[in-house]
Amino acid sequence: MGPLDDQVVRPDSLTATPDGLDIAVYSHWYRALPLPSLVKVDLTVDGTPVDPASLAATVNGKRYVFGELAGRGDEFWFTTDPIVLHVPVATAPGREHRVQLVLGLSIPYILTGPDRVPLVAPSSTDKKLTVGSPS
Amino acid sequence: MTETAPGLPRLGTTLFSLTLEQRKPGRDLRALIGEVAARDLGPGLEMVAFQSLRGWPRLGDDAVREVRGLIEESGLTPSCLAVNLDLGLYPGRLLSDDEAYEYVAVQLRGAAALGFPAVRVGIESGPPILSRLLPLAEELGVKIGVEIHAPLTIDAPPVAALKELFTRLDTPWLGFIPDFSASMRAVPDAVDDAHRAAGIAPELTALAKDVWAEPGPTMAKFGELERRAAELGATPAQTGNLKMIFTMHGRMAPERWADFFPHVVHVHGKFYGVVDGEDPSIDYPAIARVLREQRYTGFISSEYEAHAYSDRYSAFDQIRAQHDLLKDLFEASVASR
Repeated sequence: MGPLDDQVVRPDSLTATPDGLDIAVYSHWYRALPLPSLVKVDLTVDGTPVDPASLAATVNGKRYVFGELAGRGDEFWFTTDPIVLHVPVATAPGREHRVQLVLGLSIPYILTGPDRVPLVAPSSTDKKLTVGSPS
Repeated sequence: MTETAPGLPRLGTTLFSLTLEQRKPGRDLRALIGEVAARDLGPGLEMVAFQSLRGWPRLGDDAVREVRGLIEESGLTPSCLAVNLDLGLYPGRLLSDDEAYEYVAVQLRGAAALGFPAVRVGIESGPPILSRLLPLAEELGVKIGVEIHAPLTIDAPPVAALKELFTRLDTPWLGFIPDFSASMRAVPDAVDDAHRAAGIAPELTALAKDVWAEPGPTMAKFGELERRAAELGATPAQTGNLKMIFTMHGRMAPERWADFFPHVVHVHGKFYGVVDGEDPSIDYPAIARVLREQRYTGFISSEYEAHAYSDRYSAFDQIRAQHDLLKDLFEASVASR
């Protein structure tokens, strides 16, 4: 909830690559978060859910398979940088896709309840966007 | 700069107020600091390290030089650096005491390198870690302040424990950073904007505001809100958003701010909107009176946070309005003595 939610996936976020579809995702949280904070990436492209285990992500110039992020507490996703999700979906420049993304960010300094569990702050995106060419 | 007379609290800005501006093209750290200075929104400058400083908490020497240079060129005065203890950094466990100490210690050293005289930590930094950090704070000459933000009050057990610690140690290097959000008189209208955009029915927003305004401690009202919201058909996600009203906006009497003294190292001027020189949700005269009575001469960082709800207003204009309001109040308090 809030104005940053609309910027999570932007009009120029989609790029076609030889491996599939890249989606540049921006944070809806105000500060840089450590990579394990990406606890929920529920992505659906054109109505088909994408298994997070099939995703890779590039952040700070380094590429990780999705499962590796949870161990990288020494790397931070900076406020104004995208994380690029590499999605195994065939595409081409100029093609339109419907992207639905529920992004859940674990906020490591806001602990809730008697068990002191980090708050998960969600954002929700549902946009039809056109794929650009790699720059 | 919005300079106040000697002997009065000093004003300033935290770049957190500019969260939406930071995302606009060309608004890098240099541009934001420059614009705060150009619009006379100093003299104090605060920032959230993890928000504003790429590479934090491990800034190289070149980055430290660059940031120090930006601040010096701007003519602003570093007032406080907000840092975080990310206890829940890894899934399924909290940082150990040693990990937590190191996590904050490296940031304390970073704040000193950047020339900040104080850091802000959250309530998750409790008495044991603060006691352990004290020698380092003293050695570096950087004060550590624990922010007391809604829904915390001076009476909340973790805050009372801090008060006991600060009284016992009686050191200038540890203290409180009270935040205006702890003492609000109304839920800000910006909340309505966000709820409307999120598809939350106006009657649900009105319900949450009503329950918020009822007498009694906020912490005891979550159950009642859940029950009454469910009767009106709220989804769990909507109820979660309604609860945010309780966690973001506190109702502690402003007069209770006296109890934070003499252990106040910095103040956060959280606010959600000044319209026509008035702020419906914060009682500035009451808070200003306490700060003057306590002879507080440190900084108040204007912390505009309606950006979490709405992009309707310019944060720069809002900070200008808050500075004008506070400056007038403080100077009138001198004139009336």
